[in-house]
Amino acid sequence: MSLADVQITLAPNALVAHVTGEIDMSNAEEMGATVIGATPIEAQGVVLDLSKLDYLDSAGIYVIYGMRSSLQARGQALILVIPPRSPVHDALRLSGAEHPGEVTEAVEDALRAFDRVDPPSP
Amino acid sequence: MAEADRQQQVRRPRLGTGQIALESAEPIAEPSEQVRSSHRFSDPALSELSLETLLDELLNRTQEALGVDTVAILLLDGEAQQLVARAAKGIEEEVERGVRIPIGRGFAGRIAAERVAIFIADVDHADVLNPILREKGIRSLLGAPLIVEGTLIGVLHVGSLTPRTFGQDDLAVLQLAAARAAPAIERASLRAQLAHEHSVSVALQRSLLPKGMGEFTGMRVAVRYVPAREEVGGDWYDVIELPRGRVGLVIGDVVGHGIAAAALMGRLRTSLHAYAIEGHGPGRTLELVDRFIQSLNEPAMATAAYAVFDTYNSMVQYATAGHLPPVVVSGAEARVVEVTPAPPLGAFPYGRIPEHEIGLAGGDILFLYTDGLVERRGVPLSDGIDALAQSVRGAVSAEEACVAAVADLVPLEGLRDDVAIVALQSSLVPSELHLRLPAEPKTLAQVRRILRRWLVERGANEGDVAEVTIAVSEACANAIEHAYPPAPASFQLDAWGNNGEITVAVRDTGQWRSTRGQNRGRGLSIIVAAMDDVQIDRLDSGTEVVMRRRLRQT
Repeated sequence: MSLADVQITLAPNALVAHVTGEIDMSNAEEMGATVIGATPIEAQGVVLDLSKLDYLDSAGIYVIYGMRSSLQARGQALILVIPPRSPVHDALRLSGAEHPGEVTEAVEDALRAFDRVDPPSP
Repeated sequence: MAEADRQQQVRRPRLGTGQIALESAEPIAEPSEQVRSSHRFSDPALSELSLETLLDELLNRTQEALGVDTVAILLLDGEAQQLVARAAKGIEEEVERGVRIPIGRGFAGRIAAERVAIFIADVDHADVLNPILREKGIRSLLGAPLIVEGTLIGVLHVGSLTPRTFGQDDLAVLQLAAARAAPAIERASLRAQLAHEHSVSVALQRSLLPKGMGEFTGMRVAVRYVPAREEVGGDWYDVIELPRGRVGLVIGDVVGHGIAAAALMGRLRTSLHAYAIEGHGPGRTLELVDRFIQSLNEPAMATAAYAVFDTYNSMVQYATAGHLPPVVVSGAEARVVEVTPAPPLGAFPYGRIPEHEIGLAGGDILFLYTDGLVERRGVPLSDGIDALAQSVRGAVSAEEACVAAVADLVPLEGLRDDVAIVALQSSLVPSELHLRLPAEPKTLAQVRRILRRWLVERGANEGDVAEVTIAVSEACANAIEHAYPPAPASFQLDAWGNNGEITVAVRDTGQWRSTRGQNRGRGLSIIVAAMDDVQIDRLDSGTEVVMRRRLRQT
């Protein structure tokens, strides 16, 4: 059993990465690299769904900052899904850090934030 | 204490007492007729035999050379640190019941641990663990370790149904047999392992515990599979590691026998495992397996139970589809946990399978089994289940519960039906933690599992658990970062509590490194924000972080 799992789906304009399990210094960098590596260059950005993540530590927060920088360098945005009262919300509160990117409470809200572009017709 | 005395006795040969250890280094007197006849052990043809034939041949030759009633070969299961009966003559039940002897305990266990030959003049007055030796009426025993290039691979022992004093000549013969047999067994085992990889039936019959699952933080698991004497059966067990410190235990039994039942068992085991790791609860998991059976469009039915043990709070979520009730061992007591079972899988389409909760105290054992263990012709099933509860009560470990149940309930003549057992013991949580841990990133997840369980046991509420866990994990991450050469790669975690306040100390032996970027600084902010009081001492010998928090509780 690996400590965390990343499931990736592609929305019309963005990549959605659902992260579950626990992220700490043992797997944070791998998680970041997996998501960035899977992001198509034509996507407007990434929705990082942390709503079902059970644990995030400072190493994980650090990696999320790094993801934001990498995406910004490619002109892409990072939106985090962090509902109130979730473990990730608490971790960020304890760290006193400003949120490492735009935050929404649900994946749908995050997707709405990206420009709607109709998928190419067949 | 008695145990220490006994060990002393083993080391200092004393005639007339129960046991005499015969050090293998002792010079052996004149070779006798017996010893000369034992050249047969060095027969080069032995090295060409398959493992089964080789073991059989060795048993025959040993029996003949020593004129004994019983001979047994037990081989080491290194992972479990147990001896497993592998071949026997005169006491074939040892092998059929899959007797397992922990290293260091009983007759064979001590031979293995101390690597000396042991002679037992009178079995009745000796520390003999294996009940079969007594049941068969063996009076005297002599055993020697099997060693290949300094590595212990097993034990060879012989027995006599009449009292017999085994002397130096007998020992010489046995040791010669052991010395010749060990390398041949080692070679044949390696060959056999390769062959087994291609043998589906063996994989089904002797599926092992997933690696490292024997000793998971917060619990211990033991398993058994005892095949039926004649036919292949459809019983199975499974142990599944799940997220958030949970472990799934599966026990199941496909209705019917033979290859078809075994094949269906393989499919059900896989489908249940696949649904379980998707995170479904036990009830839903069984419902999905039921749907899977229905989709096969062939007459197929099975009973199964799926239990999810949560190491954080020692609770079990349990669901059963027509399976026999589990037994819970609590110290000297054992109770049968009766829940209303749903119908067997494949019986009716689209049934709902409810979940039940079973609380385990630290040290309690949850024992799941299949009907082959408790079903006897002409005896009501409930009597068999009661006999099982009687047998396992008082067991101090999951392993011991398995040993007792198999010894007491598997008949000497073998089984008509196969038996699968999976038993889990919830660990006792110590009131204080004193852990020396490897300074590696993967240690952090283990620390959090241990700490969460410990905190729950101390009465911490959800918020306490989450915040203390992240603070301590951050402190440990610091310790792991400090552990760079030449500092030893480990750190110390101590935790204690009184009057609703807990204290956790993390000590490393590395030099404190000034905050590296925002990352570590953020780790420190988390520690300070989560705990009421934090002291950091940077000493020449290392860094110590002592954190206190009053539990909010519920």
